Formats: sequence, C-alpha cells, structure tokens
Amino acid sequence: MALVEIKNLEAAVGGKPILKGIDLTINPGEVHAIMGPNGSGKSTLSSVLAGRETYTVTGGSVLFDGKDLLDLSPEERACEGLFMAFQYPVEIPGVTTSYFLKAAVNAIRKHHGQDELDAMDFLKMVKEKMALLEMDKTFLNRSVNEGFSGGEKKRNEIFQMAVLNPKFAILDETDSGLDIDALKIVANGVNALRSPERAILVVTHYQRLLDYIVPDFVHVLCDGRIVKSGGKELALELEKRGYAWLETAAA
Amino acid sequence: MTATTISPDNTAILSALGPTYGLPWLQQRRSDAMELFERIGLPPVTHEDWRLTNTAQIAKINFSVPGSGTPLTPEQLAGLCLKKLGAQQMVFVDGKFSPELSSPGGKVEILTLRQGMEKHGDRVQRFLGREMPGQSNGFSAMNLAAFEDGAFIYLPPDQGDMGLVHLLWINASHDQPVVVHPRNLVIIGSNNQITLVQTYAGFSSQPTLCNAVTEMVVGKGAKVELIKLQRESDTAFHIANEAIHVHEHADVQSLCVNTGGHLVRNNMTVHLAEPFAQATLNGLTLAAGDQHIDNHTMLDHARENCPSHELYKHLLGGRASAVFRGTILVRPDAQKTDSKQTSKTILLSDAAVMNSQPQLEIYADDVKCTHGSTTGPLDDEQLFYLRSRGVAAADAGALLTYAFARDVLLRIWHTGMREYLEEFVAAELHRLHLDQAES
Repeated sequence: MALVEIKNLEAAVGGKPILKGIDLTINPGEVHAIMGPNGSGKSTLSSVLAGRETYTVTGGSVLFDGKDLLDLSPEERACEGLFMAFQYPVEIPGVTTSYFLKAAVNAIRKHHGQDELDAMDFLKMVKEKMALLEMDKTFLNRSVNEGFSGGEKKRNEIFQMAVLNPKFAILDETDSGLDIDALKIVANGVNALRSPERAILVVTHYQRLLDYIVPDFVHVLCDGRIVKSGGKELALELEKRGYAWLETAAA
Repeated sequence: MTATTISPDNTAILSALGPTYGLPWLQQRRSDAMELFERIGLPPVTHEDWRLTNTAQIAKINFSVPGSGTPLTPEQLAGLCLKKLGAQQMVFVDGKFSPELSSPGGKVEILTLRQGMEKHGDRVQRFLGREMPGQSNGFSAMNLAAFEDGAFIYLPPDQGDMGLVHLLWINASHDQPVVVHPRNLVIIGSNNQITLVQTYAGFSSQPTLCNAVTEMVVGKGAKVELIKLQRESDTAFHIANEAIHVHEHADVQSLCVNTGGHLVRNNMTVHLAEPFAQATLNGLTLAAGDQHIDNHTMLDHARENCPSHELYKHLLGGRASAVFRGTILVRPDAQKTDSKQTSKTILLSDAAVMNSQPQLEIYADDVKCTHGSTTGPLDDEQLFYLRSRGVAAADAGALLTYAFARDVLLRIWHTGMREYLEEFVAAELHRLHLDQAES
C-alpha cells in the first residue's frame, strides 16, 4: 500500500489558487524530490501537507497510511508519523530544546497509548541522535532555535526528525542558506535516516542537495502542477537546462 | 497646588487614627495625614495617575476594621509558608502580628513596627513616612493615619549575606468587608546582602481592602532582592505604595508578581539617590475574569552613573485589564544614566485589555534611555511549530505562556525563590488556561 497518496490536490491562499491539481504517490522506503522555480507552489505543498492553516484546501484528497490526512489537525498528523523540516525554523525563547523535545516525544507516545519516556531513557536516546548530527552538548539547554545560525537551525530540524522517527518526512528547502559543510552534515543525517519503512519528500529549488541525498524520483512543479516526473537524472538535466523549457510546456 | 474648598465624599472609609503608643511625633504625623486625607480623599479618575484605575468602587463599600475571622487551616498556611526555604518568617493575620505562626528567629533582627518604636525609636521616627510620605496620594495618607502594625527590619552595616526574610500578610475569611493597612519599614545598612519576600494572600469571599505601604533604605554597596507575591482573593482590593531609597553602589532588584485581587494597584518608587546605585524592576501579572491590575513604577535618577532596567510582563485572559505606567525621571545631575524599560503582554482573549505607557522625563543631556512595549496574542508561527511536532494546541499555548512568564522568573537571584515561583506560576497558568477553556 502506498504511504502517501495525493490526488488532484488544489489549494489557495487568500483566495488565490496556488496548487492546481497535484497527483503524487509515495511508497515506503522511497525518496522523492520536488523541484521547481520560485512561486511554483513547492512550499505551499509542504505547508498543506503539514496542516498550516493559512492555506485553504479547495479540492482533491490526501491519504496518509490509509487515513484522510486533510481531516487531521497538525498535531494529529505529527502523531500519525508526518514530519516537516521547516524552511524557516521558528525561534521559541524561554523553551529549552530538551523541554520541547520531551513534550513532542511524549505527546506522540501518548497518542499511541504508550507511557511517557523516563528522563534517563529520553536523554540517552537524544544524545545518540545528537551525535548523528554532530551537535554541541550545550544545545539541549538552549532555547529552541534562539540565536542559532542558519546552519544550526537546519541541523536542528533534522535532529528533531531523528528523535521523532516519522514515517514520512518532508524537507522544505532544507538546503537554503546552508554552506557546503553544513549541507553535508544535514545530508548525512538524512541519509542515515533512510529506511525501508520511511518515505522522504525533498523539496528544493537547486539540484545541489540531491548530490548528497540521492532521490529515487524527481518531480518538477510549475504553476501548481507536476509537469514532469523522472528518475534522479532529471535533476541533472534541470541543472543544465534550467526550468524555462518546462514552464513553457506548462503554459 | 490649589486647595479644594469642597471635601471629597469618599473619606468615610477612614474612621479612626491608628494607635499612637504615647508618642507625640506619631500622634502628630497621624493627625496631619488624617487631615490631608479628609481634604484629598481617594484619588479620583480625573487624576492623571489614576485615570485607568477607578477607586470609586472602593468608596462605595462599607469596610470595617476586622474582628476575628475564620481561623486559618494548616493547608492554607502550608501553601504560603517559606520556612522550607530557610526563611525567617513574620506572619500577620488581618493586619495583626501573629507570634504563634511566625518564626522570626535567625540572623536578621525582625521586629514589629511597634517593637521597633520601643527599641529603635529614633530610627523609626527618622524614617517612617520619609520615603513614602502621606502626601503621595490618598492611600498613602490613609495608611499613615491608620496603620496598626507591620514589620521593622534594621540591619547594621557589614553583616554579609543575611539570607531570606519573608513577610506574610493574610486576610482570613470574614462575613463582612474589612480593611487593613500594613506598613513595613526596612533599613539595610551598607554592604549587606538580603532577599526580602512579601506575600499578600486572602481567603475572604467578602471584599477586602489591603492598603499597604513599604518603605526601604538600602545602604552603600548593599545588594537587595525584593520579591512581592500578591495572591489575594478575587474579591480583594489591593493597593500598595512602596518606596526605596538607594545609596551609592547599592544594587536593588525587585520582582512584583500579581495573580490575585479584583482591583490591584502597585506604586513602586525607586530613588537612585547617589552615583553608581542600580535598580532592576521586574513584574509578572497573570490575570483573568474581570481582574484589573495596575503597576506604576517611578525610577528617579538623581545622580550620575546609575543603570536601571525594567521588564514587566502580563498574561491576560477573560475580560482582565492591566496597566503598566513606567516613569523614568532623569534629573539634571544624572549624567551617564543608562535606563531600559520593556513591557510585554500576551492577550489570551479578545476581551482582555492592556494599557502600557512609558513616561520619560529627561533633564540631563548625556544619557541613554530606551523603552519598548509589545502587546498581542500568542504567536501563530510558534504555535504551529509546536503543533507540527505533535504537541496539542492547548498544550502548545500553555507551553508558550509558561515560557513567556518563566523568562522573568529566571532572573531571580535567590535559587530557592526562583524554583518556588516557577512552580507557583506553572500552577497559576494551568488555572488561567482552564478559565480560558471554560469561558
């Protein structure tokens, strides 16, 4: 059974249509990349899947692990195993990363009828994942994303993904604002999390990230529609030719 | 000032002078204050300082001096007591010192004001009414005329770290409206360090008026942390006038936490009287229902090189309203003043109202004074971020409000008090969110 089944998805913001009929099927274990020029609807797709309320779904359906995703609140989606790494991670002064993660982990455990993780087990698990993303020890006691550099914020997103262990992860322009070293750390983290049970959707403007996180499928989004799908070689072709030839095709 | 020819009609609340203990100077100050009160009465809303806090409802209530109320239960006391933090504690019930509930023994000599007049007569005569004179407003006049008792603390110079002192004022439950006028006088000699906590609590379902005055002198090089916790019943009127005189190189940090009361007004005046004195004034207000909480601060920079910081935070739900008015006065001699004032408010409901007013009066030319104020609902982006990680909407709201409040509490110097208030505020926020959920 497909893990994610998007059918004819349409969405608008402030009455303006952005997504104009997206069809996409993702199976467990697969890594899909969504590429496209600015304004094509990439981030809208991520936000709609994560449940951001500024977007209105105007048509279509999304099945996630057999459930109607669009019927779920953002927190229910997370508890069911959906995770989005934010393009612009949010700063939360006064909430330590450790407190934040514990709240998230335990909310998800509660949803599945499990007991809260005890403090020792939590710390042990979190420290393992920190090593994966090469994070500094002081990090847990710092306020969530407050005063973090761009690279630290993105690493923190992937670290959270590692801790929350989702079935389906969306990386929304995770490469934006990263230098090459930070990009490698983030990509290594993501690659370590690839597994036969987990699907990943990489949303990106540039092909560069896909050198490090090699996708199984690449889709090109133009003006709210997927105009071309292919294998990883499609990303290289886009790198060479740009998006213009596909935008013309879409119009 | 022009003298009014018509007496205000709201002075019936003050019926008799407090005890004079056979002291002519006290007799004189009391009768002067009474005379003043009869002329000015309770502050009218037409007075600029009282524009947003209407005391007319206080004048309508027939308050009397409390007789004996319902005895306090051990449970009620346990929640208010700070003995577990090693505090020297003085307890007043319905305005009267309660020796059986108090444990004043320890490094600091804590007396009642009455004992202070016997033992340190000259000092009390010199300082009582100096920092917070009757003239300040009708409430301070009424207090000076009528106060019965309070705490007197005198710390001789160079005693070092004197630990934690707790003054606990409790209004017991009564079947009629009662009024008390607590009055504290605190004199900290130079180079001492002390944490002074005042708690005001109440259990009456009838209206109560607590009209408190605290005067304090902080000697050269002393380091003083003042914490006030106002958690009176929701029928209480709480008016507090506090004034602190800060000497050279002394460092004062105050935190005013308000969770209780129906109508609350805190006036905090700090005189930075000598060079290199510094003051930090922090505040945290949690209000819901139809509570009204008003904090007025006055930072009087009299001399050069005095830094001051203010951070007042408010979390308002229901139809609650709050006022923050922070005056920073920089006198001509106060060059190199460095003053920063911040007021932040989260509105948890559409009907809650915040009124934040900075008031800068600067008469020196080489100074740095900044102020900022923000008011708004919880941040949607922060809420969504938490929810996208699995945290339920209500829990995400609670987490963000706690973080907002905790930011103030983390600044507390005294570790035990910091932990005590973190726990207290977490529980109060829980109550605030439950109120929100029900309304």
